[in-house]
Amino acid sequence: MDEAAAQTAWESLDLLFHISNILDTGLDQHTLSVLIALCDLGLNPEALAAVVKELQRDPSLFPSTLTPPASTP
Amino acid sequence: MEEEDQRKLTDLVVELVRRLLSQNPLNPQTPYSDPDLRSPHFQQSLSYAVRILSSRLTPSIAPDAAAIAESIKRRLATEGKSADALTFADLYAKFASKTGPGSVNNKWAVLYLLKIISEDRKSARNGLDSSVFLPNLALNGVEGENSSRVLRGRESREKGWSNGVLLVAKDPENLRDIAFKELVNVVKEENEVSEEVLVRDVLYACQGIDGKHVKFDSDVDGYVLSDSIKVPKATRIMVRKLCELGWLFRKVKGYISESMDQFPAEDVGTVGQAFCAALQDELSEYYKLLAVLEAQAMNPIPLVSENASSGNYLSLRRLSVWFAEPMVKMRLMAVLVDKCRVLRGGAMAGAIHLHAQHGDPLVHDFMRRLLRRVCSPLFEMVRSWVLEGELEDIFAEFFIVGQPVKAESLWREGYRLHAGMLPSFISQSLAQRILRTGKSINFLRVCCDDRGWADTATEAAAAAGTTTRRGGLGYGETDALESLVVEAAKRIDKHLLDVMYKRYRFKEHCLAIKRYLLLGQGDFVQYLMDVVGPELSEPANTISSFKLAGLLESAIRSSNAQYDDPDILDRLRVKMMPHGSGDRGWDVFSLEYDARVPLDTVFTESVMTRYLRIFNFLWKLRRVEHALIGAWKTMKPNCITSHSFNKLQHAVKLQLLSTLRRCQVLWDEMNHFVSNLQYYIMFEVLEVSWSDFSSEMEVAKDLDDLLAAHEKYLHSIVEKSLLGERSQNLYKSLFVLFDLILRFRSHADRLYEGIHELQARTVDSSLPSRDKNKSRKQTNDRSSEPGTWLSDGRKALTQRAGEFLRNMQQDLDAISKEYTSLLEGFLAQLPVQQHIDLKFLLFRLDFTEFYRQLHPTK
Repeated sequence: MDEAAAQTAWESLDLLFHISNILDTGLDQHTLSVLIALCDLGLNPEALAAVVKELQRDPSLFPSTLTPPASTP
Repeated sequence: MEEEDQRKLTDLVVELVRRLLSQNPLNPQTPYSDPDLRSPHFQQSLSYAVRILSSRLTPSIAPDAAAIAESIKRRLATEGKSADALTFADLYAKFASKTGPGSVNNKWAVLYLLKIISEDRKSARNGLDSSVFLPNLALNGVEGENSSRVLRGRESREKGWSNGVLLVAKDPENLRDIAFKELVNVVKEENEVSEEVLVRDVLYACQGIDGKHVKFDSDVDGYVLSDSIKVPKATRIMVRKLCELGWLFRKVKGYISESMDQFPAEDVGTVGQAFCAALQDELSEYYKLLAVLEAQAMNPIPLVSENASSGNYLSLRRLSVWFAEPMVKMRLMAVLVDKCRVLRGGAMAGAIHLHAQHGDPLVHDFMRRLLRRVCSPLFEMVRSWVLEGELEDIFAEFFIVGQPVKAESLWREGYRLHAGMLPSFISQSLAQRILRTGKSINFLRVCCDDRGWADTATEAAAAAGTTTRRGGLGYGETDALESLVVEAAKRIDKHLLDVMYKRYRFKEHCLAIKRYLLLGQGDFVQYLMDVVGPELSEPANTISSFKLAGLLESAIRSSNAQYDDPDILDRLRVKMMPHGSGDRGWDVFSLEYDARVPLDTVFTESVMTRYLRIFNFLWKLRRVEHALIGAWKTMKPNCITSHSFNKLQHAVKLQLLSTLRRCQVLWDEMNHFVSNLQYYIMFEVLEVSWSDFSSEMEVAKDLDDLLAAHEKYLHSIVEKSLLGERSQNLYKSLFVLFDLILRFRSHADRLYEGIHELQARTVDSSLPSRDKNKSRKQTNDRSSEPGTWLSDGRKALTQRAGEFLRNMQQDLDAISKEYTSLLEGFLAQLPVQQHIDLKFLLFRLDFTEFYRQLHPTK
């Protein structure tokens, strides 16, 4: 990427990070950038949001046979 | 490129999952550190994420970045973070302006993403406040231990699930998720009905259909929200208010369907039907509005997310704004329906018209439209009545009712106004004119056999600017109607009067009646009296009317009446009134004039009876006059030869003279009275009334005027000739006077006969002649033996004469006294009369104030 593009990209990211903070989404910059890239590729934002929501939830919701509850990694 | 994109995609997804898991504070494995990429947990999460991503490939909203930004800003503002909203706006503006390489292409996607994530976070945080989880929240808040919290959480979730719907074994993650969502929905619906549902229900209610929660309750007589639904009180009230529209709609629709059902029973009438049709038109406008609203209710605006339900376009508030105008109209219609339930025809139109007197332009226009439709049958009826005389009124809605009557009472009673059906925008005078015009047409058609009125009708219509065809007029054009009626009335009246005067010669007949029935033709009456007089002295039941008719004919032929129109003479007849025994011919004789159709509208039975009464009175008066004239004939001085006086004694001579004088004086008085009375009747009463009547006939504009003028004419005659009800006393005393005069006549006759006899006696005393003696009537009962008479000689004659004269004198005195007292009584009553002005009569009778002076106290 050339200088101008990089600059634009950085500024956009910055703006979006601010917006995201205002909206209190709890995303950090890195995650946000990944998400932006995924959106840009054309993925459904609703689906992405769902992914975010699911993976941010309590992982003990997953069935006990597949995930050991509580303790070990 | 595709490959590269795909790889990039996968990498990114992996990266995302990694980061999310590492961030997740609840992750028991590696909080805040890099997760192991090989862990099954990680793999699981990854596969799950991929599954989610692949399952929803198309977004559910339109890619409009600006709209999304707007909604975000609004949300921030409603949450009270207005500073944040401003900042956001600023940032978004900057962000949106970034274009070109390196910038984000799908800006909307990113924004949408952020929005959803923030909403999810918020609802996740608030999700624990839901009432099912409430008992667990307290426990959650107390415990700090992760594991116990997790355990508790799991328990609570499981508990929740056992209340709920689905527990599936096979594909737990996804299906659990779905089940959880459904549970949330069910719970929400049980507790709290969404506004969307309420809006839909209200829309159903406004068409008279029961919705899921809003049903018609006949106890309360309204649409109510069932109590089991928990909605805030404000919403409940709002729903109730909106459902008023439904109640009104029900009422109006009920009326329409009722009327439509009753129509075959002929209870509704054309005006009622027009009303129903107009209401149905208005309702179809209303349906259009409801259809539009329903379509709107289905469509959400582009910013709705699945979790928020209040973003629906049509809220109850919006509905109440949309319903404002239909509510006014529907209320109006319901009020009208209530009013008109029992009314029909013109009364209904009048009631609706009263409601149209409203200042609000919306109401005014609405009522105007309605009234145009409702009144069109009425106006049609008026038009056909006024221009053709046709009364097409099956349902008895028109304000003119016709009755089948005989031709002669067609004008007076055939048609009348029915005030109940007269609408209030047609004034009384206009209604009278309408009635008269139609009546005239019918009269012309039925009684006069005249066809010329059709042309006048078309002329009238042309003059008024409408046509004689249907549908020329409508409500709101009352002036046009009025001008049409006025034109038609003018022409038809003129035509009718023309027909009456020219074809039926009304004036001539009136004059003829005056001349014959009111004894205007003097020579004819004189001759009739001469000829018929002796006949009428017989008792009534021996007189044959046939003979009298013959006498009438001869009377006509020998007077000037023979030159009169034969048609008029045809109608003149003799009539014998119903009589009892003991009546003389004088009491029952009368003349009659036969007025045929159409003149008998004017000369009805009652009118002719009144004419008859006047005739009787005049005839009696004439008879008295005739009697007095007859008496005068015998009183001529040269009937009594002077030489008879010489033969009598002086005393007798004096007596004779005084008696004669007395008689003469009395005759003079009576004659004065009778002739003055006669002249009064003739000139002051009959002629004056006739000239008034003539002038009124000239200016009469229609048959009603003519009838009124004739009525007045007759009435004035009746009153002034003392035949009215209030002049009963006068009338009676007058008749007593007449009787007295007739008695006098017979006395005078006797007197003069006696004198002639005396005369003849004195002449014959020198000529003894049996024949003469025998043929004379005697006043005393002595046997008429010529011998004894003659043999008595002068002395006896004188004695007889004296006696006779004394008797006569006494009789005459008696009559004279009675006469004077009666006359005074009569004259005294004259000035006291208040209802008629008899000063002219008094003037004539007491010109020299002779009678007044006799009794100055009176």
